[in-house]
Amino acid sequence: MNVNATFFAELLAFSIFIFITYRYLWPSFSSILDSRREEISKGLEAASESQKKLEEAEDASRKMIEDAKNEASSLINQAGSRGDQIVEEAKTQATEEQLKIKSAAEADIEQNVTKAKENLKQEVSSLVLAGAAKILEKEVDAESNKQIIDDLIKEL
Amino acid sequence: MAEKNVIDPSNASDLTPTSDYISHHLTNLTYGWCEKSESWGFAYHQQTIFPESPCKVSEMGFWAFHVDTIFMSSILGVIFFGFFGLAIRAAKTGVPGKIQNFAEYVFEFISNAVSSNFHGSSKIIGPLAFTSCVWILAWNLMDLLPVELTNFAGVAGSGFDYFKVLPTADVNAPLALALVVMFFVTYYTIANHGLGGFLKEFINPIELVGYFSKHVALALRLYGNLFAGEMIFILIGIMFGQFLMSFGQTLWFFPGLIMNLAWALFHILIIALQAYIFMMLTIAYINLACAKH
Repeated sequence: MNVNATFFAELLAFSIFIFITYRYLWPSFSSILDSRREEISKGLEAASESQKKLEEAEDASRKMIEDAKNEASSLINQAGSRGDQIVEEAKTQATEEQLKIKSAAEADIEQNVTKAKENLKQEVSSLVLAGAAKILEKEVDAESNKQIIDDLIKEL
Repeated sequence: MAEKNVIDPSNASDLTPTSDYISHHLTNLTYGWCEKSESWGFAYHQQTIFPESPCKVSEMGFWAFHVDTIFMSSILGVIFFGFFGLAIRAAKTGVPGKIQNFAEYVFEFISNAVSSNFHGSSKIIGPLAFTSCVWILAWNLMDLLPVELTNFAGVAGSGFDYFKVLPTADVNAPLALALVVMFFVTYYTIANHGLGGFLKEFINPIELVGYFSKHVALALRLYGNLFAGEMIFILIGIMFGQFLMSFGQTLWFFPGLIMNLAWALFHILIIALQAYIFMMLTIAYINLACAKH
């Protein structure tokens, strides 16, 4: 244990290293850690903010979905009632059409029946005339007996 | 040195080689002023490269430099502070890399120690604590190098037969640190309490003794712990020496190996602890100097 001039050299070296640390190392470490601290706090703030935004967006989307559901169900209801209406209309229309066709057909039948009757009367009258001529063995003058024939036809 | 360590089997009670071995390990590589030749030079028979003086280390006065202490402490300082300098130069504020992470961890550790134990306002205490802690730790780590390493280097032809790698085991280095601490303690006492307040502490002269012994103790605590650790490594090393020199006589090799390992493991604790204690006491003393009475 001998103290000698080494002491001064060590003193000088220590002073130099303290100066270097004081001048360069310590401030740059402090500044880098401070800026990181700031960055982290900013990041945390941003995270909480975006969390809030996310919640808001979730609320909005939930509301949108609900609206859409409501609209869809109302649309379905509307469509259903409209469909019922259309079916109803179609039914009445069909019924009307049916009635119309039926009456037309009936009128046609009536007409045909009348015509047939008329034809039949004509036929019958000519048959009667022919029969009468045969019976009388002579020509029955149609002109002179027209009155009688017509009466006969009318009675048919 | 190996040849100094020979123990003559016929004269096993002669302890001169052992004591030579120990004193060789405790002698610094010294460059100083020799009264005899009235010149500067390395001590007698310490190295073979530079011109040497006829004075032995013990014959040199105050004006002598322990070249190994100065060299090792400076180079360790350059390496360790250079490491932190490079780490901070490559540093970025974003996600840090591994080296930056480590450097920042060390910085924050010391910075927290300062901020939780120092309640005044001072710009120098942080750098002072950082420098002393890192530098002392760097010194103390040299204690884990094998004690024979530099002697082997000497034998292998490095030219230096004497070289102590552990700056802490040279009392000059811890004393220089303690003096700087004392300077700052005095400065902050005067800055916070005025010159009158500083002098008033010494109304009782015993306080003056306490004032100096506090700082000397700071240095000697560090020096003593590491010197003792080094000493035990040397004593364990003697066991190896005995083995190497006389294979048939002793079988100290294996106990020596185990003890070296055990002591090295335990010593890691002391290495870190002494650096930490020095830093904490520095902070505590300056805090005391700044405190309002």
